[in-house]
Amino acid sequence: MAHIDLVAVATIARRELSERLRNRWIWTVSGLVLLTSLALGLLGATPVGVVGAGSGGAILASIVNLAVYLVPLLALVMGAGAVIEDKASGHLDLMLAYPVTAGEYFLGTFAGHMLALWLALLTSFVPACLILSRTSGVHLAESLGVLVPILGLGTSFLALSFLVAILAGDPARGIASSVLVWVFTVLVFDLVLVGMLVGLGDRIPPDWLGAALLLNPADVFRLIAFDWASSAASPLGLATVAPPFSVAVLAAIMALWIVLPLFLSHWLFQRRLAADVLV
Amino acid sequence: MIRFENTSKKYGDFEALAPLDLTIQSGEWLGIFGRNGSGKTTLLRLLVGISKASEGRITMDDVEAGPSEWRAMRSSLGFMPERFPLLPHLSGEKTLRYYARLKRVDLDEVGPLLETVGLGDVARRKTSTYSKGMRQRLNLAQALLGDPRLLVLDEPIEGLDGHGVKDFFELLRSVPNRTVVISSHRLPLVSKLCDRVCVLKQGKVEALGATDDLIRQADLPTRLIISPHASTSESMGRALARLPSATMVSQNGRVVVDVAQRDKLAVLSEIASFGDAVQDIRIEEPTLEEVLLGSH
Repeated sequence: MAHIDLVAVATIARRELSERLRNRWIWTVSGLVLLTSLALGLLGATPVGVVGAGSGGAILASIVNLAVYLVPLLALVMGAGAVIEDKASGHLDLMLAYPVTAGEYFLGTFAGHMLALWLALLTSFVPACLILSRTSGVHLAESLGVLVPILGLGTSFLALSFLVAILAGDPARGIASSVLVWVFTVLVFDLVLVGMLVGLGDRIPPDWLGAALLLNPADVFRLIAFDWASSAASPLGLATVAPPFSVAVLAAIMALWIVLPLFLSHWLFQRRLAADVLV
Repeated sequence: MIRFENTSKKYGDFEALAPLDLTIQSGEWLGIFGRNGSGKTTLLRLLVGISKASEGRITMDDVEAGPSEWRAMRSSLGFMPERFPLLPHLSGEKTLRYYARLKRVDLDEVGPLLETVGLGDVARRKTSTYSKGMRQRLNLAQALLGDPRLLVLDEPIEGLDGHGVKDFFELLRSVPNRTVVISSHRLPLVSKLCDRVCVLKQGKVEALGATDDLIRQADLPTRLIISPHASTSESMGRALARLPSATMVSQNGRVVVDVAQRDKLAVLSEIASFGDAVQDIRIEEPTLEEVLLGSH
């Protein structure tokens, strides 16, 4: 197998980053996140029932919840046309006539998307975290530390969006499928778990419910974020359903949620490319 | 030298390209012709390495593109796709620098190359403002990056007007000493440029050879269109009708004769015997397109 040419990967990533940063949708959602998180940081923790400044843990919990809803949406929509738009425009074919492997192209494209997503997320959340640490009792490190799982959450859903896009094989179908993935992971999944909890009650061991949360990257993020920012967990009572895993194990599972979809999408990409049925 | 050895391409049960043996000599210009779905694009995709052959192999200077050779082989290849994927927010210069980085070409090559293709004055303009002709020039410029030995052009004059086609061909001729493979469905225009043509039909080679050879082999008649003086029109018609291989019709006072190649000189001599009674004569040799379409 040929070695990976990092110059080619970086060149493609840079071009992809530049293209993504011109996407108005990304900045619209990013702006929405920024405004909402700033409002939370400045006005207090009304959404979780605690009014007034100083209730830092609750505000942080609200920011984490905000991230659970909007970060996956941002990532999924950003990656909805990944690879297949390049195939449709002819850019991918031209790349493959260059001394660039399909793997280098794929890696560069993902890296470019990821950097654009990270930039959008940092722009949205860093100001809110800084304000939060100044206006409440939350320590700056605890506040900024939440950014790490937020970036992990975004990256895992970006990897999922690549898989969805390649499976969809069409930009419009890719967006529709991405929205469905968002609805399922962010809205439906937890409702199903709550339904099981209500319906089956004591018949489900508490550990099982906690373990089931690991099947959803959005919930893995919640667990990591609340584990990291312990002051944020108490207002939501989340500690009662926390699985019996350390934050290191949770981080490893989040990493799996990035690597696994990415590996699958790369495998599918190579397979469909070889068969000329990508789009 | 590029060699297709029993190379074929299938998509499921559909055979896009039947087993093909084709050798392209170094420095040769080869035209690939055919209607939509004839296998032109498949052949080019195999040649540039976008697709892999289902069977057979393709070699360049007797070397097959294996894992260790493919990068160097693609560096010596320039591909001009039919649709050039523009990066609309970039200038022509930045677009070319992007492709130069990917090909590991010295960035100092970009400026002179833009001058060569006539985009020097608009190098810093965004490509979204470029005309179709300018985009094709930029497309050619990216294909010429790194001074490739093999240039593969897919429908390079599609969408260009008469002036655009002329300018493009002049530009192409100004970068000599390389092997060129051109795919097009505009046969008359491109066949004049090529040393040989390969005509594909439903994934199979229908004709392969030098344009003149293919025309000669087809032995289609030459058409003579004679404008005689009104008083001699009838007698000339009678005289030419007596010749064995000539087919004659009259059109608005003109005499139109289709004559077999072997009798062409004899017929011309007969016409010459009418002296000043012949006001004008036009000779239309068969074209490659007529050979392939079987009409004249």
